[in-house]
Amino acid sequence: MYKTVRAAHRLLASLSLPFLLMYGVSAVQMAHGAWFSMKPEIRESQWPLAAGLTDARAVARDVTAHAPRIRGELSNIRATATGITLRLVRPGTVHEIQYDRDSGTARIKTSRAHTMGMLNRLHHAAGLWHASVALNVWGAAAAIVSLALLVLGATGVYMWFARRTERIAGGVLLGVNVVVVLVLLGLMRSAGP
Amino acid sequence: MSVRQARSCLRYPTQLRSCIKDLAGPADRARGDMYGKLRTVTVRHIVLKVHIYAGLFTFGQLVIYGVAGVSAALQPGLDRPKSAHVVRYVPFTPAPSATDKEVAAAVYAVVAPPLSRPVPDWFLRRTADNDLLLDFYNINGIWRVVVLEREHRLRIEQIRNNLWLFSSDVHAATIGDAEAPRIIRVWALYNELAMWCLLAFCASGLYLWLSVRARGVWTWACLAGGTFSFVALWLSFR
Repeated sequence: MYKTVRAAHRLLASLSLPFLLMYGVSAVQMAHGAWFSMKPEIRESQWPLAAGLTDARAVARDVTAHAPRIRGELSNIRATATGITLRLVRPGTVHEIQYDRDSGTARIKTSRAHTMGMLNRLHHAAGLWHASVALNVWGAAAAIVSLALLVLGATGVYMWFARRTERIAGGVLLGVNVVVVLVLLGLMRSAGP
Repeated sequence: MSVRQARSCLRYPTQLRSCIKDLAGPADRARGDMYGKLRTVTVRHIVLKVHIYAGLFTFGQLVIYGVAGVSAALQPGLDRPKSAHVVRYVPFTPAPSATDKEVAAAVYAVVAPPLSRPVPDWFLRRTADNDLLLDFYNINGIWRVVVLEREHRLRIEQIRNNLWLFSSDVHAATIGDAEAPRIIRVWALYNELAMWCLLAFCASGLYLWLSVRARGVWTWACLAGGTFSFVALWLSFR
C-alpha cells in the first residue's frame, strides 16, 4: 500500500510540477507586485478593412484575416459615434481595436506582457466556457492540476502517518494548521452577508 | 549491509527500524546504541523533514488552493451572483445638503457591514430611479444598499457568494492589501507562508526524487508530459 501511495504521489507531482511552479511564481508576483516590472511591450498598427461594418465579430474576423497574429477571444465591445471598439484577448496579449466605420480603418494597439505578466494571466485563466480551444484545454489542465494538488495532499498525509517517528511533531503541525484554518474560515464566512 | 540494501532503507521509511538494526555493529549493540549510525543526519533527511513538516503546516491552504482551482473550472463564466437572499429596510435620513460621498460615509457608519470598506468615490452609482446605490464588497459577497431618500430608509440587500466562490476569494488574499480587515490580513499572512511552501515543495520534491537517482520510467514520462503540455500551451498563447 505504502509503495503504491508513494508512486501515485511521485507521478502526480511530476505531472503537475511545471503548472505548480507557474502558480507558485505567479502568486509571488501578485503578492509582491513591486518586486517585478510588469510593463507590457506595446505596439501600434493600422489595417484597412471593409468600410461600413457594424458587427464586432465581422470586424474581428476581418482583422484576423489581414493579420493572423492578431487573434484572441472577443470582448469589451462598445459602439462609438464613429464605429466600434473591441478587444481580442488571449493570456498575456491584448489587442485593442478601434474600427472607423466610414474609412474602414482599424487602429490596433497590442499590449504584450513579458514573462511575469504572462504567468499572471495564466494564473487567472480558468474555466471551460471560452470560445478558444486552447483556453479550454488550459482550463481543463488547471482543473486536473488542482485535483492533483488535493490528491498530493492526501497521499502526503498518508505517507507522513506511515512514518511513526514523525507522528508527534507532524501531528502538532497538522493540528495547529487545521484549527487555525477552520477558525479563520469560520470567522470570515460567518461575517455575512 | 550492501549498498543496495542501504539505498532501499533510505527509500522505504517503513523498513527503517530493521535497517537500523542491520547497520548497527556489534559494538553499538553492546553499548545499547543500536541506532547510532543511522542518526547521521544527511541533507536528504533534512529536505525530507522540511517537505513533510511544511506540507502538514500548510495542509489546509493547499486544500483551499485545490478546491479553488476545481471551482474555477466548474464556473459557467466570470459573472457572479447578483440576486439577494435577504432584503431588509432600515430607517435613514441623510443630512440636508450632504454630498453623495458624505451620504455614503453615513450609510457605512449606520450599516457597518462586516469585513468591508467604505465605497470609493469613483464607485458611487445611482439606480434607474436616481437613488444612490452603494455596493459594500466583502469576501462573502455584497451588501447592496439603496438610499431611498423619499421613503427615509435604506434598502439593504445581502448577496452571498457560494462556497466555491468563497474558496476562490480566500485563496487570493495577499499581504499586499494593507487596508484589509485584520482577520483577512491574518489569513493573508498564512497564505503567504503557504505560497512559499508551495514553491519549496516543488524544489524539495524534485530534490528528493533526484537524490534517489531519479528512478522510474513513469515518473520521467509524467514529468515530460507535464512539461510538454505546459510549453505547448504557453507557445499557443504567445
